[in-house]
Amino acid sequence: MVKRKLVSVVDDDAFVREALPDLLRSFDLEAQPFSSAAEFLASESLDRTGCLVLDVTMPGMTGPELQLELAARRCDIPIVFITADADEGLGPKLLRRGAVAYLKKPFSEAAMIAAVNAALDSGTDVLCD
Amino acid sequence: MEIQPSRQSDDTDLRRAYVHLAEAQRLSQTGSFTWDFDRGELLWSEELCRIFEFDPATTITTDLVGQYVHPADLPAFVATLEGAAAGGDVDLPYRIVTASGALKHLHAVGHRIAHAAERPVIIGAVQDVTERKVAEEALNKARADLAHVARIATLSALTASIAHEVNQPLTSLVTNTSTCLRVLAADPPNLDLARTTAQRSIRDANRAADVISRLRAMFVRKEPAAEKVDLNAATAEVLALSSSELRSARIDVQTDFVHGLPVVRGDRIQLQQVILNLILNARDAMLNVDDRPRTLWITTAADGPAQIRLSVRDAGSGIAPEILGQLFDAFYTTKSEGMGIGLSISRSIVEAHEGRLWAASNEDGPGATFSVSIPCDVAGSTEAVSKDG
Repeated sequence: MVKRKLVSVVDDDAFVREALPDLLRSFDLEAQPFSSAAEFLASESLDRTGCLVLDVTMPGMTGPELQLELAARRCDIPIVFITADADEGLGPKLLRRGAVAYLKKPFSEAAMIAAVNAALDSGTDVLCD
Repeated sequence: MEIQPSRQSDDTDLRRAYVHLAEAQRLSQTGSFTWDFDRGELLWSEELCRIFEFDPATTITTDLVGQYVHPADLPAFVATLEGAAAGGDVDLPYRIVTASGALKHLHAVGHRIAHAAERPVIIGAVQDVTERKVAEEALNKARADLAHVARIATLSALTASIAHEVNQPLTSLVTNTSTCLRVLAADPPNLDLARTTAQRSIRDANRAADVISRLRAMFVRKEPAAEKVDLNAATAEVLALSSSELRSARIDVQTDFVHGLPVVRGDRIQLQQVILNLILNARDAMLNVDDRPRTLWITTAADGPAQIRLSVRDAGSGIAPEILGQLFDAFYTTKSEGMGIGLSISRSIVEAHEGRLWAASNEDGPGATFSVSIPCDVAGSTEAVSKDG
């Protein structure tokens, strides 16, 4: 079975969307940025995404809300959360809901790549319903 | 023999009057003087000598007095003496430094007396107002301290925003730098991408520095300034600083700034403190609103020919009429964690700028509007009225 290998980056911060895909590509990963949860949900990349790097705080649908939406759609995409906020309680909660990692911004290259690889390895090849 | 008792009685009355006068001067810390200008005679009461720490036997001259006047006040002191000799009234606050080194704040009043018309003779009183001055300065300092505490308290409410604003550029900075090192180490190295990511890193570092300098400007204590303040720009900066705070509370911010408004004169930081306070209050007012958009409208506009009005409108539950009167009182709060000094400090800041701050429930929808109207530079005005949304 071939695992889905696209890393989708959903963040409302244009600078993260610019920087992170380049870093991921330097590790020979396929990466694609999205500026909102809605844009990602509407894209054809949804079915190809093997890891979702997802910002927590965004206008419109937030990262945790997208996590719930994907779960409701039975869309089992491993999620690496990233956040610039200092909410101590949120990380454990999101991990309990099945997220692979919860990284605080600014995250190190090593932490990001380890989390993304763990996510890609954990993913199934079952498509969304 | 017949006169004696009467003279004695006169003497007694005089002495008694003199004692009363001296006692009154002592109690009120007010000395008196007469000054025969042409003859160069300067007669001082005992209390005035005591205030200046002069021996009562001293021959007092204007030159001698001038030696103890604070150098910064000496020109005004000399000008007042000259004016008094020419027939002008004396009304002069000034400072002296006595022989023992004490700094005293004095207030002299006097005028030329009419019954010595053939030559100028001036009579006057000098009050030692040092205690009052010191108390006023202590009060001003206490007020400034309280405003500072209120600012820190307000900004503390922004810690989440601050972390967010600083971490965001640091994230792309670290990521771009990592990419740069990786593509340089690749074989062959990707020099174009290395250059691009290095340039992005510089940009990101500057973005982080900008956030820090905005914050520093609001946190750092400085004396109230009188500078030209563009209210639109000042408001936009506050919005940038509080944007993620508002976003995480799902506040939809709508601005309508009239461009080309004249500048206002005042302390930018203090005015931003007021604006920040009104914005955070509007946010708090809408935290329980779930059946309609949590819209925050911020508008600026001319308010007559010489004022600018800034309005902050929320879609919360409005202000009950019975609390409208207490809203600006110190330590009045409807919030469980509030100190209740935000609006009180805000109003005193606005009033120090000769402006007004008031609140009203909205008539055409839910919520309340807080408005600041503040005098502006009429000379710097333009007619441009372009708008943005």
